[in-house]
Parts: sequence; C-alpha cells; structure tokens
Amino acid sequence: MSLLKLEHIDKIYQQGQIQVHALSDINLEVDESEFAALVGPSGSGKTTLLNIIGGLDTASTGHIHINSSNIAELNEQELSKFRLFELGFIFQAYNLVPVLSALENVELVMVLQGRPHKERSQRAKHYLEIVGLQDMMHRRPSELSGGQQQRVAVARALAAGPRLVLADEPTANLDSENASALLDIMFKLALEEKTTFLFSTHDPRVMERAKRIITLSDGKIINDENVNNE
Amino acid sequence: MTNTQSVPIGVFFMLAWRNLWRHKRRTIITLSSIAIGFGLTVFSIGMQDSGHNNMVKNAINMGDGHITIQHSEYLASPANHRFLEEGKSLLQQVEAQSIKAQVVPRITLQTLASTANNSVGVAVQGINIKSDPLRDIIEDKIQDGRWLQQGDERGLIIGSGMARKLKTKVGGKVVIMAGKKGGDSEAQLGRVRGIFHSGMLELDNYFIVAGLDFTRRFLIAEGGKVENQPLTRVAIFLDDEKQLVNIKQQLNKAINQPNTVVLDWQQMLPQLVQYIVIDDVSAYVMQIFILLVIVFGIVNTVLMGVLERTREFGLLRALGFQKNYLVLLVFLESLLLSGMAVFFGWLVGGSIHLYVAAYGIDFSGLIPEGTTFAGTFMDPIIYSELSPARVYQLTSIVFLTTLASGIYPAIKASRVTPIEALRT
Repeated sequence: MSLLKLEHIDKIYQQGQIQVHALSDINLEVDESEFAALVGPSGSGKTTLLNIIGGLDTASTGHIHINSSNIAELNEQELSKFRLFELGFIFQAYNLVPVLSALENVELVMVLQGRPHKERSQRAKHYLEIVGLQDMMHRRPSELSGGQQQRVAVARALAAGPRLVLADEPTANLDSENASALLDIMFKLALEEKTTFLFSTHDPRVMERAKRIITLSDGKIINDENVNNE
Repeated sequence: MTNTQSVPIGVFFMLAWRNLWRHKRRTIITLSSIAIGFGLTVFSIGMQDSGHNNMVKNAINMGDGHITIQHSEYLASPANHRFLEEGKSLLQQVEAQSIKAQVVPRITLQTLASTANNSVGVAVQGINIKSDPLRDIIEDKIQDGRWLQQGDERGLIIGSGMARKLKTKVGGKVVIMAGKKGGDSEAQLGRVRGIFHSGMLELDNYFIVAGLDFTRRFLIAEGGKVENQPLTRVAIFLDDEKQLVNIKQQLNKAINQPNTVVLDWQQMLPQLVQYIVIDDVSAYVMQIFILLVIVFGIVNTVLMGVLERTREFGLLRALGFQKNYLVLLVFLESLLLSGMAVFFGWLVGGSIHLYVAAYGIDFSGLIPEGTTFAGTFMDPIIYSELSPARVYQLTSIVFLTTLASGIYPAIKASRVTPIEALRT
C-alpha cells in the first residue's frame, strides 16, 4: 500500500521575466517501509521535491497524498501539525537546537506533540542508545562531532514516531566512517521500526544501501528502479 | 493525525532563558547599559521629586498652608482692604469641622516701613505670636533681640537686610504706613524686638512679622469691626497632606461667608506649580532619551538574536513549531530581558536612592545663599525621595518599554518560512 503518492507535480519559480521549471510532471508512489533514494546531479530537483513532500514548500500544480492526506489542501497551521506528527526530517547540517542537550533535542518534537514527560524521556533515551550516544545525552551540540550530531538528528526524527522520514543529503558533511555508521543505524531502524525513508543524495554509499533508486534530472524522473542491495 | 498539542510554557521559558545566555557578553552589556540608564533615571527622579517636595514644603510652611481661606478677590488683586470681615465666626466654622490640622489666623499687609533714615516697601505678616508655624521658622533665625511676647502690641520682627536699609536696630522705632481704599493712609508705630537672618533675600529685605493685634489696627481703619476680629486669611496646615482634596471639599461646603474662597496651595502658588511642571517636562524629555537608549539596547540584542537564528527558526518550523510558538519564544526572551533589566536597574538605582535618601547630597556649594525659586527655596542638603507611585510608574514604564522592544523582533521571527530559512 502506498504511503506517499505524488500526481503531476510541477514546481515553477519565477526569476524576473523567466520561468524556471524546477520540477515537471512528477508522478511517484512510495510504499510503507521503503528505503528509497532520490539521486541526481546538483540542481536536478531532489531537495525541491523533498521540501514539497515535507510541506516546507508548495507545488505549483499537482497533488501530494501522504497517508491519504492531501497536503496541498492543508493550511499553514495544519501543515505544521502534519509535519509534527507524520514526518521526520534529517537535514544536511546544523540540524540541532544549540541550546538544548542531545536528550532535549530528541525530546523536543515529542514535547511539541504533547507527549507525557515520562514517555518522551524513555523514548528519547531508547533512541539515543540505539544510535550509540547514551553516554553523551547531556552534551550540547557544540560538544558533539558532526557524525554524532547527525545521529542525534536521526534519533530525534525516529523518536517522534513518524510514518515518513525525509533526509536531505544526511551524509554530505560526514567522513566515510561516520557516514557508514549513520547509514547502518538508519537502515537498521527502518527495518525495525517499519518507517519509510526517502533520501536525497548523490553519495554512492547511500545508493548502495537503498532498495529503490529514483533518478532525477532537470526536474524530471528519468529512472525509477528497485535494486537488490544487501 | 493527533490533535493533542499542549506545550508546557516552561519549555518556552527554558528555551528563551538559554537563548538569552547564548551570547553572555552581549546580554551582560545590554543588561548593564539598561541597569545604569535606569539607575540614573531613578536617581535623578528621586532627587528631582525630593527637590520639588522640599520647595513645596517650604512654600507651604513659609506661606499660607496647604489650604487658605481668604477674600475671593485677594489672589487676583492683593490689597489690604480685601479682608474677611467676620474673622471670629470664620475661625469658629473651620474649627467646628474638627479637621486634623493647625488652623492659623493671619493678617497680611502691603505697607511702607519708615525710619528717620529710610523707607522700604514691605509685607507685614500679622500672626498669633504663640502658635503660628512661622514662629518655628523665624525665631531660630533671630540674630539680635528676641521673639515677640504676649501683650506687646507694638513689637516687630524684621529681617537683617531691612534693618540695614532702614538703619535701625533692636529697640528702634519703625512707622508702618498703609494706603487705605478711600485714598487716605493709616500709620502705626512699631518697635523692633528682633532681627532675623534667613539667608533668603525676599524674607530678609522685605518681610516683617507682627502680632495680630498690631496688624488688625489697619483692617479696623479700613472699616473692620474689632468685635468681629477681621482677618486677611485663615491658613490651614494639614497633618496629612493626602487629605487635601477631601478637606478642601469639606470646607467649601461648610464655609458660609460672603466674598470668601477656599484655595489650596497649588492655587495660591501658581508660579511654583508652573515651575514644577516645566521642570518635570524637561526631566521627562531626558527620561525619554534614556528610554530610547534602553529600547535600542533591547532591540539590538533580541533582533540580533533573531537574525542570527534564522536557520534555526526554519528548522524549528520544519519540525512542527507553529508561527505563534516562535512569537511566544522571542517575546519571552524580551520579557526575561525586561525583567532582569528592571531588577538590575532597581539594584543600581535603588542602591543609589537609599544611600542618598539616608545621607543626602549637599548642594550648598552650587546654590548661592539667598537663592529662591518661584517664591520658595530649596534646603541645601537634598535627600532622595521616591513615592510608591513613582516606583510603580518607573517600573511599569521601563518594563513595558523593554517588553514593547521585543515586538518587532518577535514579528520578524514569525515571518521566517522554513524553506527560506533552511536555504540560508
């Protein structure tokens, strides 16, 4: 059953007199528990597509259904709420709130969700343990390495229990060792939690792990294939 | 989608508090500038209020009390013949009100004082020589001679400047002469019993104190009847000046005499009131400048904090923070900064105020002897005074101003869109 369904998505930017087609007639379905990668060169529209799926940006035309909600019909407040309960985000860098500890960062989304203190604390500690940061949960982001910060971001994205995690080039700023460790964690969590992951990347290490690779070029899907990565 | 969203306010306070201390030095500098600015405002207002209160107190004591009952035309056109015919019954009416105050009969005359050597235009104040508050002020300042005694119907107390002008001394004769309404004049011989030196030129050069009996002769000459004990005025010195309005209203209702008016000190001393108003206005202008410095300090700190966190706000919005959460967060940062600013401001200003309230500042080097403002004077040592109303007013103004300073940064924060912010 598809969790995400995009129908005829166009994104047009107006730059002065010129119209730039960032996305053209995107049609895509992603099923529950998929571990899919959006790949393509810079400027191909990966981040724009992720932003539209995440409700951070709006499509010029088309429909976006996530878990049977048409997010194009939601107002700003409803979109906020939708992101809060249904989506998890992992960004390329500067993912965390600097004045909060790792534990507090992981708890933050659950605080906004209105979960009880005990529940969110238990879940935050559990996910920090999974990402291997149980001994650093009280450290602030400035006291963590880039790889550790991304692991906190992964823990935060998953602890809130989203159906879909959108990750925009999560390994771009990490060295090989950290990138590999992060991918191991995400892959493991995707399997265990049955959470759907959609990455934008041009990191071959990510592509090697992805079960499905959707290739974008000039704002169009030019290839969409399931791969048998183990 | 779950709809149960209730974010504890404590979370926002915690975030706001930590955000404030993200740049400790900047916050400390901002707080220091506000605290010093506010402290100076507290100090200057404390001194100014004290100076005004001091001048008013002296004007009331030297003048005609908190409330004065006199002829309805006297204030506009002071003349000896504008007196209260029924002085005795008026005093009885006032005393029947049982107000908590000292009620003092007075006769004021515009006269010419002459000796064989010279003549000077003077104001003669006829008082009850035993109980009038003026005695407390003048008697201590007698340099030569003594205070008036009961039964002394011709005794005069004159200032040192006048003694010099008239070339007279204790025991000397002085003729007091006053023009009458009809064009004639009335003259009475007095004898100098004491010479005072107050340091105030208006008193020392142009003021004579005499007994009621002596001065009443001039009112009798104007047609007053001895048995009615005519007066120029009844001066009322209240025990509690806060009762001024109530007691004035009470007297207005109770006094039933023709051509009689009940005035408060503000009506009697309009120049002093104007001086205080003008002085207050100049102080307010100064305070507005200080408040502007405070506003810019807060706006700078909070706005800088907002602008440099644009990406972070975008992240928070992406995670599910609603616009109003960001407004609340930035507003709480301003609120905390305002609260601390007021606290430290009072710590600085309050400390200075308490010190100056206890020990005072001696301005005698700055104010030449004899200086008077608007018919009164200021004591050389001023002790800071702040009324509870002033404390409330200053706290509210600074608190609300600093709080208002956070509005623009809060609006700015709310306009952050996640997509724009995350691109930065």
